[in-house]
Amino acid sequence: MKKEESVKLISAEGFEFVIDKKAAMVSQTIRNMLTSPGSFAETQHREVTFPEISTTILEKVCQYFYWSLQFASGKETEFHIEPELTLELMMAANYLHT
Amino acid sequence: MGSEVVDLVGLCIEAACRSPAAVEKWRRQRRSLERLPSPLAEALLHRLLHRGLLQPSLLEVFKSSVESIDLRGLSSVDAEWIAYLGAFKYLCSLNISDCHKITNSALWPLAGLTSLKELDLSRCARVTDTGFTYLLTLPNIQKLWISETGLTALAITRLSSFKDLSLLDLGGLPVTDQALSSLQVLKKLQYLDLWGTDISDKGASFLKSFPKLTFVNLAWTNVTKLPSLPFLASLNMSNCLINSIFEEDGDGFALRNLIFSGATFTSASEPFLLLNTSSVLHLDLSGVLLHDFSFLCDMRALTHLDLSSSVIKDDSIEVVRSAGANLRNLNLSNTKVTSFGVQLLAGYVPCLESICLANTHIDDTSIYYLSMIPALKSIDLSKTCVKGYKHHPGSEPVWLLSDLQTLAALESMDLQGTQVIDEALLPLLGCKKLDCLLLRSASLTDMFLHHLSALPRLTVVGFRDAVLTNSGLQAFRPPVTLKSLDLRGCWLLTEDAMHNFCKSYPHIEVRHELLQMVPSNSYKNPTTRASPVKHKKERAALALARAVKDSFIDQRLKYGRDELLSLQASVLPLELPPDADFLRNNLTK
Repeated sequence: MKKEESVKLISAEGFEFVIDKKAAMVSQTIRNMLTSPGSFAETQHREVTFPEISTTILEKVCQYFYWSLQFASGKETEFHIEPELTLELMMAANYLHT
Repeated sequence: MGSEVVDLVGLCIEAACRSPAAVEKWRRQRRSLERLPSPLAEALLHRLLHRGLLQPSLLEVFKSSVESIDLRGLSSVDAEWIAYLGAFKYLCSLNISDCHKITNSALWPLAGLTSLKELDLSRCARVTDTGFTYLLTLPNIQKLWISETGLTALAITRLSSFKDLSLLDLGGLPVTDQALSSLQVLKKLQYLDLWGTDISDKGASFLKSFPKLTFVNLAWTNVTKLPSLPFLASLNMSNCLINSIFEEDGDGFALRNLIFSGATFTSASEPFLLLNTSSVLHLDLSGVLLHDFSFLCDMRALTHLDLSSSVIKDDSIEVVRSAGANLRNLNLSNTKVTSFGVQLLAGYVPCLESICLANTHIDDTSIYYLSMIPALKSIDLSKTCVKGYKHHPGSEPVWLLSDLQTLAALESMDLQGTQVIDEALLPLLGCKKLDCLLLRSASLTDMFLHHLSALPRLTVVGFRDAVLTNSGLQAFRPPVTLKSLDLRGCWLLTEDAMHNFCKSYPHIEVRHELLQMVPSNSYKNPTTRASPVKHKKERAALALARAVKDSFIDQRLKYGRDELLSLQASVLPLELPPDADFLRNNLTK
């Protein structure tokens, strides 16, 4: 993966997820952070830290980004969510506008 | 974008409400539940409710997140539910209308809920003055619906302590003039519903002391004189005997909606003389006995006009068209309007989207004039003499509905109870935006049903009283968009044939006397606040539906055994209109 096509998402515990920029852009919030004209640190370093989102949830969110891209391209599979993750994932999704 | 197709929040809510076991997995995550933003908590709660997974004890987990709860019409809601709701710290809005298990004592836990701003108790008939005393401890109530509860005039006078009230629905309660006079201290009141109350002209005179009043409903009361209310935008005086509205010339510049259905005007010559009606958008005069409609000339902003069941005739249509520049919706059903009236309208109503001419004296010539109203989306010609064709002996028949193909926006067509035949309807297949087509005639056959496959947007089809055979239904390939198919009165169909059809197309809701109706969504409840007018209409509609249902006679009684046997194989129309002999001859050739 070329550096310019990827972004780094960092969880509350400091875990780093490197994913395609295209996938991360599924989130409106991340899209705004990466594309806003101002000099956000996020725009320059292609790194976003989420002190409110735990590693487990951020991993699931990243899975959703890729699933969502596939879904949009016509591959209609089910996205499984473990019931115990629903509340935290819901809040993360709400924050990320995804 | 994938996020537009299925959003993650929605997927999470679905996953959380999948089963009782799924609920058990998250209900003890107390810290997460406390942090849940209220829109998410409310979406989750109402989804649980919809899935039948919400027990009163589960309400407890939402006590620090939910601000608004809608429990209307749930028969299970009782004192236990309200006891849990009493602990909701941030509850602003609670709707328990039509929850018939709610009693006086059930309301006790709500006492002292300072966050509560909106409370709907409509039609909780077991709530009386005793229960009302608990509500007096709700200091911040702004919107209160208590129509058709068991409250007396005494309780109503005590409403004066709710100083912040902006909306008050007292429909169907014994509100007296005196009780209304004690409410004059409610200076913030904007919306006041008093239908079916005991107030008279004296009570109506107190309305002047509510400076912000924009909405008043006085339907089914003894009010005959309405004082000037400068900010009034919406007035309902249906079924009243009306002497005068407003006192001075030119009052009423804010008026937008006027409902006078079933009202009687005593000074029949000029009921709106004093009213500045130039800004009125909606006017309902259904069932009103007025002979002079010249007041319509001033109503240049009108978008909706209902003159159904009035005494309007063609000679008044010229006045209607002078108010036609912005008209979107016109109802002339059950009047003596003829095709000439439609001719007068054509060309003067450029924005008209919906016209109802049901049960009028129009005939086939009206079709041509309707085709000259360019924005039409919905046409109702039911119960008229429309046939859809013209035929002079010795010449080819002319199919008149083809004129309607010029209406690019046409979406809905009602031809129930007309004398149309299959061939006359074929031109409608050129109206590609058609999504609702209602037909009811004994001249319809398998042939036209099969042609309906060609309409790509069709969602609702009525094909009633038709000579539709089992094989005809079996061969029907419905458009993929079709959701509802009404086959009532199609007496040749058997239960098996219809069950097979339903099995092949499970997403289509089929109606027929031989099929058991299963309500598609038992949770859905009336969302509008009922008024007696509406109730009455609904009841009448129900009664009508029942009468129609009861009157369905197995038409096999009408025919002998031999005739029936010969019909079984045939797809020909059974009852052609008397003047359609030419067709019968053509078909038998």
